[in-house]
Amino acid sequence: MEPTIKILNDKEMLAIDQASRTLLWEVGTLAENEEALDIFEKAGAVVDREKQLVKIPDHVINKTLAQCSSSVRLYDRRGDDPLIIGGDHIYYGTVGIATNVLDFETNEYRQVVCDDLRDIVRLSDVLDPPDFVLVPATPTDVPSSIVDLIETKILLTNTKKHFIAEAQNRENCLKTIEMAAEVAGSLEALQEKPFFSMLVTLSSPLHFRNDGVELIVECAKHNIPLFIESGPMSGGTSPSTLASTLVTANAELLSSFVLAKTVNPSAPLIYASWARILDMRAATCSHGGPEFGMLRCGTTQMAKYYGLPSGGGGILADTKSIDVQLGMEKLGTGLLPALANTNMVVGMGLFADENAISLETLVIDNEVTGWIKRVKEGIEVTDETLDLAVFKEVGPGGDFVRTKHTRENFRKEMFLPKVMDRGFLALDKDPEAKSMRKRARNYFSKMMDSYTPPELPLGIEEKLDAIINR
Amino acid sequence: MKTDEILNKIIESVLDQNEDAVDKSVEAALAADIDPMVIINDGLTVSLKKVGDLFAEEILFLPELIYCGEITTNVMKKIESRLKSESDVTKKGMVLIATVQGDVHDIGKNLVTLLTGASGYEVVDMGKDVKATKILDKINEIEPDIVMLSSLLSTTMPAQKDTIQTIVEAGIRDKVKIMVGGAPVTRAWAEEIGADGYAEDASAAVIEADRIMGFE
Repeated sequence: MEPTIKILNDKEMLAIDQASRTLLWEVGTLAENEEALDIFEKAGAVVDREKQLVKIPDHVINKTLAQCSSSVRLYDRRGDDPLIIGGDHIYYGTVGIATNVLDFETNEYRQVVCDDLRDIVRLSDVLDPPDFVLVPATPTDVPSSIVDLIETKILLTNTKKHFIAEAQNRENCLKTIEMAAEVAGSLEALQEKPFFSMLVTLSSPLHFRNDGVELIVECAKHNIPLFIESGPMSGGTSPSTLASTLVTANAELLSSFVLAKTVNPSAPLIYASWARILDMRAATCSHGGPEFGMLRCGTTQMAKYYGLPSGGGGILADTKSIDVQLGMEKLGTGLLPALANTNMVVGMGLFADENAISLETLVIDNEVTGWIKRVKEGIEVTDETLDLAVFKEVGPGGDFVRTKHTRENFRKEMFLPKVMDRGFLALDKDPEAKSMRKRARNYFSKMMDSYTPPELPLGIEEKLDAIINR
Repeated sequence: MKTDEILNKIIESVLDQNEDAVDKSVEAALAADIDPMVIINDGLTVSLKKVGDLFAEEILFLPELIYCGEITTNVMKKIESRLKSESDVTKKGMVLIATVQGDVHDIGKNLVTLLTGASGYEVVDMGKDVKATKILDKINEIEPDIVMLSSLLSTTMPAQKDTIQTIVEAGIRDKVKIMVGGAPVTRAWAEEIGADGYAEDASAAVIEADRIMGFE
């Protein structure tokens, strides 16, 4: 059997569903955007124009949920074998917004520049996982008005994998779609097999920002998949109980789905969350503690409750260095969502409380996903795996390492680490000669040697630059 | 086919872990009148070296390393049995190997046996948990060039020392070279107990044996 975890029972999920619906009707959501108010009104919500408050009745939510698909297909640049997001599939991705990089060579923090983003994207392209690339860092050496477009250009020109882009407003969202269409050959080709999705981060509690509305509207119109994240902070931007934090995230996501589906009933949507806690000492949001993993299980279960594709943060860490805490946080917040079958776990490479990324952590996180994948495969108990023939061959007191049976099975039965150090303790040598970080560096060099760029139409760079600078 | 091509075929077959193909390519080499020592040194030993490199690079794993060692050892025995009468198969030397008394771990020791044997040494393996006096008797009987003593536990490391002491007391210490190994064993320990050599793994054991025998 495949190991799984449930953190909510059926009764509790129903209670969260009921509380979310009640919240959207009794309290409502704020939408400081005329277009959003129009759309919600069209959907059947009760709109108070003066207060910019939207109250959504149950039947509107029901209609929206009825329009949602169980799965979303995310294509890569080759256009075949899409990632099917939904059901119990689990895929891993990088995640963005870090503006600092822990430099590989100097082991010191510095600001992310475009070349760093390019290297991280290329490493993401050759490592497996990530299965997809959510823009993994924010360069600081370009004007902020076009930084999102520069990121998209780097993604388009450096990875063959499906990527999730970010855009800061309608104009840049439309330009992002235009840039991707240039690479695809046409808008129709892009829409048929979209090789990128758009990231939308909602504001908690219950508050639509202009940019969020614009991205949802434009991507829904253009049939670009939307990876919509709600990240309330328990005790800060949501009530301090974890249950109410789940209600907040759920209500926000449901209201954003109403918006998207009213614009276009066939808009591909992914229910994603970063529901987390506010650390009551540091006043930061924590992504490495037990609650983060638990909340991810909770939001994933709610997505499955409605039959929706799920996603959210995982494999994350609050620590400021590549240390013991990193290992503990990354594995914990990676394993829990995997056990809950979160369809898209985003977090690879990110640490330092969302503020830093490094090539080393990306390699380490690749190892973490390998460890977790092995757990998810479970212990296979079949007539074949229980075959006593090899016992008869070896006999009592013998060793199994030299049997054909071992040669045929060890690679599928055992996780074979790439960077974990499992050597013996050589006391007359440096005990840390093969430490994980050192091995991660070597592995990085080896992997980067195998990198090949995606195929691009002739003269595409100039065309992309023209769109960016228009 | 030229000699090089045939030898390359042998190397390729070992790396593919294809015992039948190794047999066939060695047969082809013998049929083409290639000197058996060339087949061993430039074919089988080279392939084993490559297998060792792939193991060090973490591309091949323990069961595969052992299997490649077994394939090479088997085919080497076949070459030797066919040619003993008409051609001299020169061995680099004779090795006596054992896991010392009190220790029942022998996977690592077996690996050393395989690789040393496949690298041109005649190896007599006494197994595990072997008493010092038994080792001494065997030394007197077969007169090996090198005695290799393995120990996986820190608690059985003193048995390596005791075995060396037994050999010293018998007055034949200068007749054999002694190497020690095993996970907890260090070069410092090897020196402390008066061993001539030490290796941290099976590939290093072959290199160390060659060094002691003056093959480098």
